[in-house]
Amino acid sequence: MPSGTLLGQALISGVLAGGMYGLLALGLSLSWGLLRLVNLSHFALAFLAAYLTYELGTTYHVAPWWAAAMVVPVMLMIGLAQHWLFDRFKVNELASLLITFSFAVILEVAIQLYWTADYRRFETHYSTMSIKVGAFYIPVLELALCMVAGVLAWGTWLWLRKTYVGKALRAAAEDADIAAAYGVDHKKLAYLLSGMGAAYAAIAGTFIALIATLAPAQIWAWLGVVFAVVIIGRLGNPLGALLAGMLIGASESIAMAIFAPAWAPVVSFSVLIAILLWDPEWL
Amino acid sequence: MLLEARNLHIGYGDATAIWDVSLDVDAGEIVSVIGPNGAGKTTLINAMAGLLRCRKGELRFDGTDMTSVRAHGYCGHGIALVPEGRRLFAKMSVEENLELGCYLAAARVHRQQSLDRVYGLFPILREKRNQPAGELSGGQQQMVAIGRALMARPRIVLFDEPSLGLAPTIVDDMFDIIARVRQDGAAVLLVEQNVLKALDVADRAYVLEQGRIVSTGLPADLLQQPHIREAYLGV
Repeated sequence: MPSGTLLGQALISGVLAGGMYGLLALGLSLSWGLLRLVNLSHFALAFLAAYLTYELGTTYHVAPWWAAAMVVPVMLMIGLAQHWLFDRFKVNELASLLITFSFAVILEVAIQLYWTADYRRFETHYSTMSIKVGAFYIPVLELALCMVAGVLAWGTWLWLRKTYVGKALRAAAEDADIAAAYGVDHKKLAYLLSGMGAAYAAIAGTFIALIATLAPAQIWAWLGVVFAVVIIGRLGNPLGALLAGMLIGASESIAMAIFAPAWAPVVSFSVLIAILLWDPEWL
Repeated sequence: MLLEARNLHIGYGDATAIWDVSLDVDAGEIVSVIGPNGAGKTTLINAMAGLLRCRKGELRFDGTDMTSVRAHGYCGHGIALVPEGRRLFAKMSVEENLELGCYLAAARVHRQQSLDRVYGLFPILREKRNQPAGELSGGQQQMVAIGRALMARPRIVLFDEPSLGLAPTIVDDMFDIIARVRQDGAAVLLVEQNVLKALDVADRAYVLEQGRIVSTGLPADLLQQPHIREAYLGV
């Protein structure tokens, strides 16, 4: 059994790493829960944003936050264009899964053609910075990621709960016809939400560039665990997505500390299956 | 005329459900459409609410041609639907359901006043305002559905089978509310299987059978017709 300090450090690292799961899950959960579109290309968009951040940073020496300011609008436009296709061809839930899978493959190939299959690493001095609290180290980048994810998740949650547009989106997710009978232009709101999802992917991408090693095939690396996070967090619930991300991140990290790193992938789906079997009221 | 339907044909896919129906509702009037199950009553009222397209014919509301208006545009003209089976946003709270009724800017500015009015009509809803609408009893859900329509400050309320599945005493309450809606200034178009109640509350009525209007007139006159007495009242 590892020491208390090691477990504590594993818990902190896990929760912080889970912030990335939560941030990636956010956009996916919104479009799946509120628009009934399963957007697999969300991961590819995040990686495209990561590569663009990397390119801007290494070739043009653009600071990551300026890169994010440039990449977010680009991804927003791509998200809107993708939604135009969904809208134009009246894509349903299952078809969206297949179509966005092909988008993701196309983006993967495009990334590989431009940046090759080599591993890329965007080295910044932030990546080694950490704060020491007692016996524990808190990496600064992951902490920043969690704070951004927290602000986005909390803000989106409040927006869905407190504003008329948010309520209209939730109502239309339950019964689009009746929402329309009360004046909700679901088509217009769906564009808004798709654009937001793509912008969230771009923000996640900026952090991926700073934290992870980039390779085209990596776009699939988080697919399984993020899907589990989306479902555990409840579809369409941004705060749930973030908390579920942190829960999975922490469980993986502790499993790695106690058993072996190879156990990590087993954990997310074991937690998913356990929670589905438990079937708690909040799910 | 507030609502004018002329020679409407409405259908789904290849099937036509409503044939050549003409129907009027004047401001401040209560008009009932009675008919057996499957006659096309819900199809007719959904088309009036903009949820279904008309194949042929004219639909005018206060002089505006509604056939070219998109579904989400109907409410802004003053048409509000109380749908069959209530169709509440079950996971959202009672008050959020009501707020959806005043989603459009013109109704939204009167939110508080409209909420007070709905809670005045249905005090129980004020108590349950933070509960998910899906957890309410059938009668209370019907109150939310009616309240949601009133929040839109409509000029006409379309009621689709408001008595369906409710206990008899609650059915009486619902028809009292329908009369109240008219007193407050809105017209009412009501489709109902509960023929006696529907005729009792109405100024005029239409009889819809197999997608066609087979009879129309004052409730008292319709009640005298042998066909109505036989088919709907069993006498």
